[in-house]
Amino acid sequence: MSQKEVAILGVGITKFGRVTGRGLLEIAHEAGLKALKDAGVDFRDIQMGFCAHCNQPMGTGMDCFAELGMTGIPVTNVEVACASQSRGVLLAAEMIAAGAYDVALVIGIEKMPRGMVPSIGDLGDMPYRFLTGIMPMPGEYAMQAREHMHLHGTKIEHFAKAAEKAHRNGSLNPNATYQEVFSLEEIMNSRMIADPITMLMCSANADGATATVVCSKKKAKQYTTKPMLLVGWASGTPMYVKSESVSLAEGPTKYLARKVYEMSGLAPEDVDVVQMHDAFSPGEIWTLEDLGFCPKGDGGPFVWEGNTEIGGKIPVNTDGGLVSCGHPLGATGGRMIAELCWQLRGTAGPRQVPGKPKVALLHNQGLGGTNVMMFKM
Amino acid sequence: MSETKKKVPIKVGLFKPPDDGDEGYLFGSRCKACGVYFHPKRVVCANCYSEDLEEVALSRRGKITTYTIARTSYPGTPVTPPFVTALVELPEKVRVLSLIAGIELDKVEIGTEVELCFWKTGEDDKGNEVVAYAFRPMLT
Repeated sequence: MSQKEVAILGVGITKFGRVTGRGLLEIAHEAGLKALKDAGVDFRDIQMGFCAHCNQPMGTGMDCFAELGMTGIPVTNVEVACASQSRGVLLAAEMIAAGAYDVALVIGIEKMPRGMVPSIGDLGDMPYRFLTGIMPMPGEYAMQAREHMHLHGTKIEHFAKAAEKAHRNGSLNPNATYQEVFSLEEIMNSRMIADPITMLMCSANADGATATVVCSKKKAKQYTTKPMLLVGWASGTPMYVKSESVSLAEGPTKYLARKVYEMSGLAPEDVDVVQMHDAFSPGEIWTLEDLGFCPKGDGGPFVWEGNTEIGGKIPVNTDGGLVSCGHPLGATGGRMIAELCWQLRGTAGPRQVPGKPKVALLHNQGLGGTNVMMFKM
Repeated sequence: MSETKKKVPIKVGLFKPPDDGDEGYLFGSRCKACGVYFHPKRVVCANCYSEDLEEVALSRRGKITTYTIARTSYPGTPVTPPFVTALVELPEKVRVLSLIAGIELDKVEIGTEVELCFWKTGEDDKGNEVVAYAFRPMLT
């Protein structure tokens, strides 16, 4: 790679919400324009586009970009389930780092149906899972949560605490779906979906769009004196691990985090604010461990003691995360990047992490596809 | 002119449904080069990348390594919440995601020993019985 650092020049997001009644092109247009204005970049300066989405029709990316302008740039649709938008940003970053382009716009967009994500696939045992109905979407997290409780003594209260914090942060975020504070009791007593996960520990399906302007560090100087820099990143998918007890596919978070710390020359102690993938609130517990913020198995008490609060040792999901913001699959990564950008700029308003945060870490994951990114300002 | 009604799998390639006198089993792959087993079947060994894999019948008994009690599911599917879904580890060291049948919700726990069984999920347009697998607690 000719450059190790790439700039995030601008971010934009629409309000996330259930059935907003707004069209796909309308919200793509809004998020795209916001990011361009935030970056101070004219659409005519954008050299390539990526459009992340999961459930939208073929060609959605071309249509969304055409709403913003028709300059003839290449546009590519990106799908990595819930991690699509951040992967789009990394594809742009990798091409910019390689010197192929200077400025890219990445749009993430989704309009979601009500109810659980109908993740029907025809591969492996997926047809068995979904034709029989034995695997509702929270099931994967629920089984991981049960295993965590069994191995490490983690309690349902710990999962509820992560959700309580997420909803409290989200109540300060005008773009969040819920924007509502819930007590521990309300969360634990809300409808059980897949034991131990209750309704208020789940991210709601939401419509929404996000956009990110990615730029070479050199070109970024034309637009700003202080861009947020992407100083380390890694993408991956599950890896097969043959172990003594059982052979299974391991999530790549730990391995990717190691690569990112190495590339950026930074360590967990250097990180001031984090966005991580909490499609269901128990995810915060083990992702904290996998990213190296606490020892394996200590995630529950770590969250319970308030370490991940705004103002805590390592603030996590200051905007409410997936749990409060809601989850427009293809757009979520861009929401995470936007929040970290505002935090590092010091413009996060009532959600602002005190003490001028300078280093931010992002973790976005979907059906095994995972992206980890380190930002610095 | 009545045809004999058969048991047909909800999805071809995952398991052999029970037949007259045969109790049915889960399909797995065994890598002939390194000996590792897989479920569902694979074309290439994930451990050593050999393409020399054979189809095998997996063990009918295993134990629950983790589980959830689902209180909801997708509309139009044959399960009725609440039900237990678990990862079952077999002696071949493969983990199978499965419905757990015939268990009281407050009795399920990690380590519970279970055995393979089959359940009717519906009928196809020829009137055949469509079946899927499950595991149930071992009768001791």
